[in-house]
Amino acid sequence: MADYKFDTLSLHAGQSPDARFGSRAVPIHQTTSYVFDSTEHAAALFNMEVGGHIYSRLTNPTVAVLEQRLAALDGGVAAIATASGMSALFVTVLALCSAGDHIVSSSQMYGANINLFEHTLKRYGIETSFVPPNDPTAIAEAIRPNTKMVFGEVIGNPGMDIMDVPAVAKITQAAGIPLVIDATFNTPWMVKPIELGANVVIHSLTKWMGGHGIALGGAVIDGGNFDWGQNDKFPMLTTPHFGYQGAILWEEFGPAALSVRIRTEGMMNVGPCMSPQNAFYILQGLETLGLRMEKHMSNTVAMLEFLVGHEQIAWVKHPSLPDHPDHDTAMRLMPKGQGSIIACGIKGGRDAGRAFIESVQLASHLANVGDAKTLVIHPGSTTHSHLTSEAMASAGLTDDLIRISVGLEDQKDIIDDFKQALRTAGKLTSTQAKGSGA
Amino acid sequence: MKLTLNNVEIFASTGGRDFNPSSGPVVLFVHGSGQSHLGFMLQHRFFANRGFQCITPDMPGHGLSKGEALTTVEAMADWYAQFMQALGIPKAILVGHSMGGLIELELASRCPDLITKAAFISTALAIPVNDALINLAATKESAAIAAMMDWGHGTAGHIHDHTMPGTSHMLYGSRLMAGNAPGTLHKDLVACNAYANGPTAAQSVTCPTLTVVCGQDRMTPRKTGLALQAALGGELVEIAQSGHMSITEHPFDVNKALRAFF
Repeated sequence: MADYKFDTLSLHAGQSPDARFGSRAVPIHQTTSYVFDSTEHAAALFNMEVGGHIYSRLTNPTVAVLEQRLAALDGGVAAIATASGMSALFVTVLALCSAGDHIVSSSQMYGANINLFEHTLKRYGIETSFVPPNDPTAIAEAIRPNTKMVFGEVIGNPGMDIMDVPAVAKITQAAGIPLVIDATFNTPWMVKPIELGANVVIHSLTKWMGGHGIALGGAVIDGGNFDWGQNDKFPMLTTPHFGYQGAILWEEFGPAALSVRIRTEGMMNVGPCMSPQNAFYILQGLETLGLRMEKHMSNTVAMLEFLVGHEQIAWVKHPSLPDHPDHDTAMRLMPKGQGSIIACGIKGGRDAGRAFIESVQLASHLANVGDAKTLVIHPGSTTHSHLTSEAMASAGLTDDLIRISVGLEDQKDIIDDFKQALRTAGKLTSTQAKGSGA
Repeated sequence: MKLTLNNVEIFASTGGRDFNPSSGPVVLFVHGSGQSHLGFMLQHRFFANRGFQCITPDMPGHGLSKGEALTTVEAMADWYAQFMQALGIPKAILVGHSMGGLIELELASRCPDLITKAAFISTALAIPVNDALINLAATKESAAIAAMMDWGHGTAGHIHDHTMPGTSHMLYGSRLMAGNAPGTLHKDLVACNAYANGPTAAQSVTCPTLTVVCGQDRMTPRKTGLALQAALGGELVEIAQSGHMSITEHPFDVNKALRAFF
């Protein structure tokens, strides 16, 4: 017996082979509910005196394997799988914040996160201050007495700003509040935020963790490394819980108090549970996470070598490049690789970007990241096409921006595809230049 | 609940129920080295909801209790006797795990009138601790905790297959131990290693006993558990698939054995 390593845990964690039938693969328990042995057994399950399952909105055996595997991979005491990454974030906020509370959040992150904090939570009396994720001083200055969490991404989406998690963790630790990190873009193969001092990790499992683009899912990983009893900021964990016979979760469950609260409130009363079928799909992806991430990283290096200095490319942004503003932080926190998202500018502006996107044949034009297949999108002609160039700029985007999610294809095939698409975009630029008399 | 004992604030879990020693048999759970009431999470709630008055204190320096850890098993046994007196518990069923079993042996020999029955789970007559681990606990506690989590768990723990859905045994256990006051684990291991009165104390135990022995236990191996049972007499239950942390790895089996014994 040994303390199993990452690739072993990716394959085995959370599952003992099925005792009755010997199934080696994780069985899909496609059931809503579970037969009790007796009324005593039922009461014991409802009272959390014994482990087991009652109803699949709360727990499910297939989903539990995924949760335990995620906890093992990220170094958390427990995990809760949810229907999506957004619902994972929401149930975390629900467990930590109430009306009148305040959040400090990264200003450069996924748009739905921004909308949740800026608009939805505000309607329920929770305010958010947005600060640059790579400015620990600004984060410290934004914390108020009623701040209940600091939130950010290790690698920001879409700008790829890097949060110095250990530096921010020192700030949140001193302030007596948890650091919640969305680790979707890095996965635990690249970096484990809990080991760097974060207290809670959020994942969209839809991306690299699943890796196949066939199942939506999210997760909250409870680091179990925050002393909820150190102050009176978190009454949901340190005073009697309405949903659990008045138990004080911090006293009853200690390091797992937050995850118990999420399960007995967020999952129970809101209900964004993951289906067992999706848990099974994501487990298949996790089995090869280490192998896939290595290939994502090597393909990204090859793609960067191709793009940097290409005559049709105006600029390239990736944390591994020395001119990235957070390069040093990225290399320190993520020495195995700095992610497989590349942003670059196509010479010729919005029209050239559109021409490039319409010319790729192997890469897929869609609004997702972290698939095994290479994905591209041109925000100027899709997600942000309604914006003027000035409005795009204020959102940190440019007309010529192309976002690439580098996949697992043979390097030469992806690069050949980009070569021909850039040639097409280049011809358009050349024609435009002639038409304008330049 | 919280109480003050020897001028130290002490926390004791009551398994989620009000504690009244006069309204039912009292079960006093005694935790092991670097542990706290949380190690018995799946026992004290279970029995508190089955008519038992359960009480699981955190020793000084452990869990949610304040103060500094005690330095000998003998002092720990005296502390539990004082704790029972402070709460007005005339007699109790004792359940000790690991070092808690040594404390239980010592308490049973010193104050036999306090104990009606005694269950010994994953423990032995003596628990020698190697110098490397003791030194590691003094110099790099996190590494000592990691080593103990590794050695302390069997197959289920290492594969993170917990009966409480979504939970990891080893990572939960690590955080539990890291939550103690600095230096606590080192003091516990030194106390454990130094305790030599087990064989003598066992001869003084007159109450009914249960010894639970685990097949994958690398900290108090099966043969040492069997030696304890041979010294005590009483009932024996073996859990072949469990490591040392049987109370969290195989709670159904442990609770079944305890329920039959109580």
